[in-house]
Amino acid sequence: MNAFPAGLAAVALVLLAGPSPLRAQRPATPAGAASATPAQTAGNVPLVPAQATWDSFHGQLNAQKYSPLTQITAANVQHLQKVWEFHTGDVSDGSGKVPATVWSATPIFANDTIYIGTPFYRLIALDPTTGKPKWSFDTHTPLKATTQPVLKNRGVAYWAAANPVPGAPCQKIVYMGTMDARLFALDADTGRKCAGFADDGVLDVNRWNNTPKKWPLSLLQPPTVVGDHLILGWAGKDWAYEHAPAGTVWSINARTGQREWTFEALTPEMRKHSGTANVWTQMSADPTLGLVYLPVSSPSPNFWGGNRTEDAPYATSTTALDVATGKVVWSRQWVHHDVWDYDVDSAPTLVDITVDGKPIPALIQATKMGFLFVVNRKTGEDVWPIEERPVPGGDGSVKGEHLSPTQPFPTLPRPLLDQSRKPEVWPLADAVGAGQCSRLWNKLAYRGMYTPPTTRGEGTLAFPDSAGAVQWGGVAFDPVSQTAVVNTSRLVQYVKLYDREAYEKADKGSGNESGFAPQIGAPYGMRLEVARNWLGMPCWKPPFGELVALDMHTGLVKWRRPVGASQQYGFFMPERWGSPTIGGPAITAGGVIFIGASMDAKVRAYALATGKELWSDQAQAPAVANPAVYEYKGREYVAFVAGGNTILKDQVGDQIVVYALPEN
Amino acid sequence: MPMAPLRSFPTGVFVLLASAVAGLVLALYAYFTPLTGVTGTPGALAVIVACAVLAVLALTQRVAVKHTARATLRVAIVLLLLAICFAALLLHRWWICVAMGVGLAGVVVDMIRPASTGNGARA
Repeated sequence: MNAFPAGLAAVALVLLAGPSPLRAQRPATPAGAASATPAQTAGNVPLVPAQATWDSFHGQLNAQKYSPLTQITAANVQHLQKVWEFHTGDVSDGSGKVPATVWSATPIFANDTIYIGTPFYRLIALDPTTGKPKWSFDTHTPLKATTQPVLKNRGVAYWAAANPVPGAPCQKIVYMGTMDARLFALDADTGRKCAGFADDGVLDVNRWNNTPKKWPLSLLQPPTVVGDHLILGWAGKDWAYEHAPAGTVWSINARTGQREWTFEALTPEMRKHSGTANVWTQMSADPTLGLVYLPVSSPSPNFWGGNRTEDAPYATSTTALDVATGKVVWSRQWVHHDVWDYDVDSAPTLVDITVDGKPIPALIQATKMGFLFVVNRKTGEDVWPIEERPVPGGDGSVKGEHLSPTQPFPTLPRPLLDQSRKPEVWPLADAVGAGQCSRLWNKLAYRGMYTPPTTRGEGTLAFPDSAGAVQWGGVAFDPVSQTAVVNTSRLVQYVKLYDREAYEKADKGSGNESGFAPQIGAPYGMRLEVARNWLGMPCWKPPFGELVALDMHTGLVKWRRPVGASQQYGFFMPERWGSPTIGGPAITAGGVIFIGASMDAKVRAYALATGKELWSDQAQAPAVANPAVYEYKGREYVAFVAGGNTILKDQVGDQIVVYALPEN
Repeated sequence: MPMAPLRSFPTGVFVLLASAVAGLVLALYAYFTPLTGVTGTPGALAVIVACAVLAVLALTQRVAVKHTARATLRVAIVLLLLAICFAALLLHRWWICVAMGVGLAGVVVDMIRPASTGNGARA
């Protein structure tokens, strides 16, 4: 069947479905609204902590990545000096027996200590002024890439008892997960295991692996600590299977390791033949509302959905749970019937904003698609209209697929990328490739955002696809000026499905998040690539990454600029071309944005007001985690972890580097 | 290729050779020192090799006798100087580019005051 009539038919169906094709989506709420009312038991906890806080992956539970510290300002940041650096030694480039390391851990500051987890699954406590180790703990996790192609770690979590027992151990605990799905609980003062937590300080969550048990889980993201609850998701193996463990999030008692509740993202029926829709990234929480916000990923397999024709409203969503019970209070699905691997990959940023003079408790959800969805975090309702718009149908080449005729599009803020039309070929890359890019472009299907995967030609162009316009660094927010700041990647990828016979012939292996993947059990394997010429140059026009500031009173862009610089074979490209980014920003009340994230492995400071670059320094590898900002003994510090990520570049590191202004 | 006695270095050749050595040292530093931004990269390695080749060409220029050989060498040297400078700019190694500029001045000096090739006397 010709593809276009199918697309027109889908549009016609939408037009017939309601009075307007631009219908606003309503938040999904579970049956029994009474049970879905959150227990507001935590009292009135300010959304923005009064004290400078950086004791979790995104700094604060609200995921604002905001520090109220003002010692470092836009006027003096150029005087920053490196005050210490520490090398963990836990690094591998993958050339030997140990898989490559990907280290995206934000250092956390708590208990007058810097805590960090490593991709060799060691936990290290450091002096915040000198970087000297206070203690370290080795989980002795086998250095094997089981669920991931590389060894990954995104850090640690911290909990402190509200009413500590004097002299008793484990009144302050640091937690870290491992590739083999064990959660370790260590006394924050001594680094000794907390015997009262699970099995002598270790909780093996593979015991709760629901379906099917033979596929293991990993704990790469630290739990989100809300009061005495550890809210814990997991990571699994992407793109490998049609049938995989189904997404679950657990609440675990911070003291005992006992499981308190389980959230299941998929229905029991769907769990029989699909899986994932897990939460592999950080969550955010509003203790006053008693809500924890889950960024839920897509179901398996990632690029074919013929096995999941049922409604799966919590997949690729932001879902708000009552932190006390785990019951769904509201949920918004950002991609219906996701066949693009558009996992919601960052914690929603919780913000109090004023729109048209009206204060709104809001939430900003960044997405891989380059959309920022802004909703009321109490109810899930739109702040600015989010419209259901018709999207292209399939071309008829993929058997059994049931695509959604519409997808949600935010009206404000405008998309961070212009996905409405096929990106233009970059003449320079095309010339260097002797027309290679143009030829590729002509073989790629693209009928706008959400063009589904195909078996034809070289596949479907996706701008962006799995690599994502925004990754787990998410959105930072200045609550004073109500400015949101987010780094983006502008990457063109293309995905092709292969029927089984064709796949067996075509499969040439895979890299980290690229190449061939079998989707075992599904009728199609797949291949996902970045569109590049023979020299590795991107086939599309720069910039390849940007830093964007938005006025959240209006949802409009304040400024945008290329961020960082791309680097290939050591050669730096012009900064006006920008760089793809992994990692995220931090904002301070001194009017400074700190960010690493770029290919050139530099860490930078930008002016919050204008976007002007103010300072930079060279790190060992791309700093693919959010920076941490902390104060100790009257001095403000900025800490970066330079660990690298092979998705961005084959450059890995084991460096924590900390900067401050000169003492005099 | 006829060889001239290596009794002395003409000024232009000396300057060129010095710039090649300086470029080599700077590129080696960039390649081996941590946190230069290009540590261990193929680009820095390529500049190391190119600077070594430049030094060899400079020495060869000293001993080349025939006019055509010297002219060909000069063209190759100038192209190599430009290529190294361009690569150094992309590596953010500005001082290597400065060294290549000095080397280019050496070539110019050698063209204005060419070495006496028959007896190896200073030009």
